[in-house]
Amino acid sequence: MSRSHIPGGLRAVSSVALVSAILVTVAACGPKATGSSADATAHQGGTLTVLDENPQTDFDPARLYTTGGGDVPGLVFRTLTTRAHVSGAAGTKVVPDLATDTGEPSDNATVWTYHLKPGLKFEDGTPIAAADIKYGIERSFAPELSGGPSYLRDWLVGGASYQGPYQNKQGLASIATPDAATIVFHLTKPEGDFPYLATMTQFSPVPQAKDTGANYYKHPISSGPYEVTENQNNGTTMAFKRNPYWSAATDSQRKAYPDVIDYDSGLDPAVINQRLSTSSGSDAAAVTTDTNLGPSELAQIAGNKGLASRVGTGHFGETYYIAFNPKVKPFDNPKVREAISYAINRTAVVDAAGGSALATAATTFLPNQAAFGYTPYDWFPAGASGNAAQAKQLLAQAGYPNGITVTLTHDASDGSYTGPAIATAVQAGLKSAGITVKLNPVQDSDYSSLVNSVNTEPGMYLASWGADWPSGGPFLAPVFDGRQIVTDGANFNNAQLNDPAVNAEIDRINAITDHAQAAQAWGALDKKLGQDAYTVPLLHPVYERLYGTDIRNVVINDWDGRLDVSDVAVK
Amino acid sequence: MSIEEYPRVESAGVLVWRRLRSSRAAMAGLVVLALLVVVAVAAPLLSAIEGQDPTTYHDGLLNSALGGVPTGSLGGIDSTHWLGVEPGTGRDLFARLVYGAQISLLVAVGSTFVQVVVGMAAGLAAGLGNRLADQVIGNLSDIVLALPSLVFAIALMAVVPSSFPRPLLLMLVIGLLGWGGTARVVRAQTLTLKELDYVAAARLGGSGTWRIARRELLPPLAAPVITYAALLLPSNVVSEAGLSFLGVGVKPPTSSWGQMLSSATTWFQSDPMYVLLPAALLFVTTLSFTVVGDAVRTALDPRAASRLRVGVERPRRGKRRQKSQTSQASQTSQTGEAAA
Repeated sequence: MSRSHIPGGLRAVSSVALVSAILVTVAACGPKATGSSADATAHQGGTLTVLDENPQTDFDPARLYTTGGGDVPGLVFRTLTTRAHVSGAAGTKVVPDLATDTGEPSDNATVWTYHLKPGLKFEDGTPIAAADIKYGIERSFAPELSGGPSYLRDWLVGGASYQGPYQNKQGLASIATPDAATIVFHLTKPEGDFPYLATMTQFSPVPQAKDTGANYYKHPISSGPYEVTENQNNGTTMAFKRNPYWSAATDSQRKAYPDVIDYDSGLDPAVINQRLSTSSGSDAAAVTTDTNLGPSELAQIAGNKGLASRVGTGHFGETYYIAFNPKVKPFDNPKVREAISYAINRTAVVDAAGGSALATAATTFLPNQAAFGYTPYDWFPAGASGNAAQAKQLLAQAGYPNGITVTLTHDASDGSYTGPAIATAVQAGLKSAGITVKLNPVQDSDYSSLVNSVNTEPGMYLASWGADWPSGGPFLAPVFDGRQIVTDGANFNNAQLNDPAVNAEIDRINAITDHAQAAQAWGALDKKLGQDAYTVPLLHPVYERLYGTDIRNVVINDWDGRLDVSDVAVK
Repeated sequence: MSIEEYPRVESAGVLVWRRLRSSRAAMAGLVVLALLVVVAVAAPLLSAIEGQDPTTYHDGLLNSALGGVPTGSLGGIDSTHWLGVEPGTGRDLFARLVYGAQISLLVAVGSTFVQVVVGMAAGLAAGLGNRLADQVIGNLSDIVLALPSLVFAIALMAVVPSSFPRPLLLMLVIGLLGWGGTARVVRAQTLTLKELDYVAAARLGGSGTWRIARRELLPPLAAPVITYAALLLPSNVVSEAGLSFLGVGVKPPTSSWGQMLSSATTWFQSDPMYVLLPAALLFVTTLSFTVVGDAVRTALDPRAASRLRVGVERPRRGKRRQKSQTSQASQTSQTGEAAA
């Protein structure tokens, strides 16, 4: 795998996907209440406004890095498969979109075949053919259209050397289109998760005749319910109108109630939440795809029933953790890593992340969702606020009876949970166990390249891992697969663990096409890996999103944790 | 008028102090500042008396479900936490504020010192040096004055490795970006002073440039420089707070008022005390520095001072008369102070 692309990609997931996804659910009532109240009043027509912090940069299906096809991108780009547009855990299921099913695997899951639904059309009325999807995927290999995930390059036969349709006119032979409605993928190794990959925008059709290369992002040809009418400043301000050739008969997932969607980004989070809270004018029919409520705003909303009923809660599979590099002393000693695991004060960490409404304490590396194979374990029980006695005992055994001083490297920016707020909470918690933590803040722009390089990786640092799709594979493999250690690029295997038994187990599970069975195996592997204390899981984030007073039919799935723009209605 | 005509001969320091004491606002400001210095120096003692320290987390005092807002009223004020606790962490606000005073005052005084030392050196060199030196230093101080200092300070704070002690870095950055004004004042005064007879006499007496600068120019320069420094202090308090507010000041978990104010801004509705405390302290500190600085300027200003004295001695005299007395007195006091 060329993981060198994954890092940037994952970053993009958390920013682009955050940006592009919109997910809010009525927190207090839960998905069921939301659904019923919504369906009763769902209203066709009107204008929906989306207020975001980060723009829809490079709005080209080849360049977007989304999870499950994204939210704003999902308005325009239909893909072979997509996430189920339903609230809660059911939303982690992969369902057919352009295809008739989620894919037919060969016996060893190296060949995947899809058939297109009949009657699919682009925004100009021309029918969508399998060749358009093949061309769309091939475009994502073009060096000038970078930004997408590296899975296609790693998985497709011949993908490693393919340079895209502009340079290699004959196309990629491992994607076959025996007829206009059939597309077949040949993979280098068994990949049971292929249907999940097929939700990404790279799997949306692009008509070769309308391809404008690097300028395609300005007006990509829509296969979804909306088409782009305006795109200013590379996705900062956008407008969408209904695509007359889209048919609900071929699309069971997107409701597409509003006639027009206005997208506005580059806004300050406090401004977004204030506008949604006030809900005056067009803001009454507004949602956000990427902005959480802040801790202070949660404290205010609690006293206001009208506001509290307009908050949607979602979960995106993501874990924030302390990563150890066992090549740096004293973290080569498992007892030191275990002592830190015991001493951690997760209550302080969760409060620093905004309290229990915005974060859940984590003791497992896998997110706490069944789709990932969540298997509860706590090898080094720290309790709510740390087990100092046990930690001291382990330190004494490790040869540090008088305590120890360690350095924690963290992002200098407080924009994420790898910043100073969490770092100081960790520092304060470990103090009671005689562990003195020195903080080493690193500028945001340098942080990921520093911690993800095997040459500069610090001994102990704050890290996070988000899911490209709700499965254990993309969660565990990049962090624990020894063959994914990258020596000349971005490396996520912080422990640089290369255990043949672990590698073989990852291969075995990747070949499983039954998702529930695979999830169970991932959970077991996670539990086993947890014993070595290469990481100290800290928290799983929770999304709390406010939406305007006129918003109806709120659907928030646990795939990306955001309110889905293609499903909401405006009053 | 000559010196003998005064009832008492006082040293400049005593004179200034007597003038300062006559201003109630200045005295109030000085008392507040003295109190702040005591608080800053005694920060460890004060928080020990309270039984708290600035870095310990108290999660039990927070409502985790509501974003970590303190559970107690008024931001969790009670007998164990005199000024409440910080939302999200439960750290004691009193301890954080008194430790924050150390940073605010230290950086303000330190950076003013840097500004004055560099400014005086540059001003004297420009005033006493040859034309080239004057031009080079003049242009340099113009550049420093014209620099968008905040932007520049942010950039400087960001590039210096994080292992460099932040308070010292703050002093250097604020100091080295703010000496332009002092340099100009000193240069202008030096150009005037060096033409005076007593300086010429010193030169004829065989004194070198360095000796003249030290023995003949520094004493009369003290008044304008002290005045200028007194007014630089409050602006440096604000600069430190501003840089910390923008996230380039002290590193966590060290507290500073600016950094506290920065993290408090989003809480102004749900926990107003958290915002009010550092804001009030910053306000009181800057106000005190400004009032005292203003009073020092008045006290050192020979014209204002002699007006004061003349007024006291001859309260019922007409205005026109007073004016002529003033100009005479000012000359006397200037030379008098210079001699002293």
